[in-house]
Amino acid sequence: MLDLDPILTVLAWASLAAFAAGLGVLPRAVLGRLPRAVLGWGNALAAGLMLGVAFVLLTEGLPTGIGYGALGGALGVGVVLFTHALTGTAELDLNALDDLDPAYGYQVVLVNTLHAAWEGVAIGAAMLVSVPFGVSMAVALAIHNVPEAMVLTEILAGRGVRLTHAAALAVGANLNQVMMAVVTFAVVSAAPAALPWVVGLAVGALLQLLLSELLPESYHQAGHTSIALVALLAMGMVVAFHGATP
Amino acid sequence: MAALQGLPDVALVFVYALVTALATGLGAVPFYFVKTISERFVAYSNAIAAGLMAGASFGLVSEGSGHGRLETLGGAVLGVLFILGTQRVLGDHDEEELVFGAATGESARRMLLMLVVMTVHSFSEGVAVGVSFGGGMTLATLITVAIAIHNVPEGVAITAVMRPRGVSVTKCAGWSIVSSLPQPLMAVPAFLFVEAFRPALPWGLGFAAGAMLFMVLVELLPEAYHQGRRARVATLTTLSIISMVLFQRLL
Ligand SMILES: [Zn+2]
Repeated sequence: MLDLDPILTVLAWASLAAFAAGLGVLPRAVLGRLPRAVLGWGNALAAGLMLGVAFVLLTEGLPTGIGYGALGGALGVGVVLFTHALTGTAELDLNALDDLDPAYGYQVVLVNTLHAAWEGVAIGAAMLVSVPFGVSMAVALAIHNVPEAMVLTEILAGRGVRLTHAAALAVGANLNQVMMAVVTFAVVSAAPAALPWVVGLAVGALLQLLLSELLPESYHQAGHTSIALVALLAMGMVVAFHGATP
Repeated sequence: MAALQGLPDVALVFVYALVTALATGLGAVPFYFVKTISERFVAYSNAIAAGLMAGASFGLVSEGSGHGRLETLGGAVLGVLFILGTQRVLGDHDEEELVFGAATGESARRMLLMLVVMTVHSFSEGVAVGVSFGGGMTLATLITVAIAIHNVPEGVAITAVMRPRGVSVTKCAGWSIVSSLPQPLMAVPAFLFVEAFRPALPWGLGFAAGAMLFMVLVELLPEAYHQGRRARVATLTTLSIISMVLFQRLL
């Protein structure tokens, strides 16, 4: 890994995260139609891992420039609100299994695609903080992509989409994660002063996304106690195993 | 930082934790002017409280990690188990049962149950204030402010349940404060404990963070989503988390 060009390192780990999404079809392939509570725990797992990533980025990824980081965070929230408004998905039920309107399928894939782009920014920013840190964030987001794709598969399969196609769509929706990770890394390498802004941007967007897309759905699908436990456990794992920062 | 106010002593810990308890009484104040408070307003207050509590927990975890990452996480597990345990002891009340607004026209038992639940919650919040002094004055101020602000909507919730049953606003304020009195009472022994046994500090910081984060996820956020628009809840919570971390760094 050390011999790789830094951009290749980012490319490799971000790709791993994106392709991990393909594994999300396995629960449906093996078990068939999933119980609602399982979807809730999947959402909670995805939310907790994302919360963990946002937490370590916020508390350790900003050794300097916390003020710019906070401004970047507010900007991240603003951009997510804007894209949700633009795509008409701000208050959309993201886990409607029985909505067979063709427009709904596109909207859900679009939401997943926009969501994945921010995770790419987070991976790119974390790699700039330090490589071990960036790798651990990429691994956390790779695991996060699995339950996220599991929920997407459940929606797509309910609409008659074949599982191989669902897997391809899940990976496809995450490909811009790879692109955003590489672009973020390259741009901020060239302009290091932007790092606190970009770390803040990623934190603000990640928090806004997990709080508006993942958690609200999960509370409808399983009991509050189990949702809170799954999310906290996932967050704790990220905090426990995240790689060193300089 | 600690040098600013001299060494934090028992009296200071008590006063800080008393401030958080008194803040609960502020939740009754709006009822002097209005009969009911809109559910949306309470939802967004809960969203802000959730963000402040989560941001404060982030502060506790990063302070604790400096003393030992695994000990902090061990403490967090204990904090979660403590809240789970109190939920069990208080009986399997339905999670929806204590949601603000769902309480109208119900038995007095619910009023009592609500007070008991809030009082038990206050235990871990008192522990949080106490142990945070072990991490220095900045952390202590951060945690105190977060818990004090979080207590205000708790007071609103208590008053909203008691007021329609003919309890006076002053008495509602009084009961709200009573529900938070465990805070000063628990803060002092928690503080003395981590001062006497320094190795216990990351455990204590983790305990407080785990208990607070669990309450955010099991109560504050679901209640906020229940009555509010989720994009707005998300924005208020996110900005509160970021402000809290910013506030801690700049202080
Ligand atoms: Zn995601």
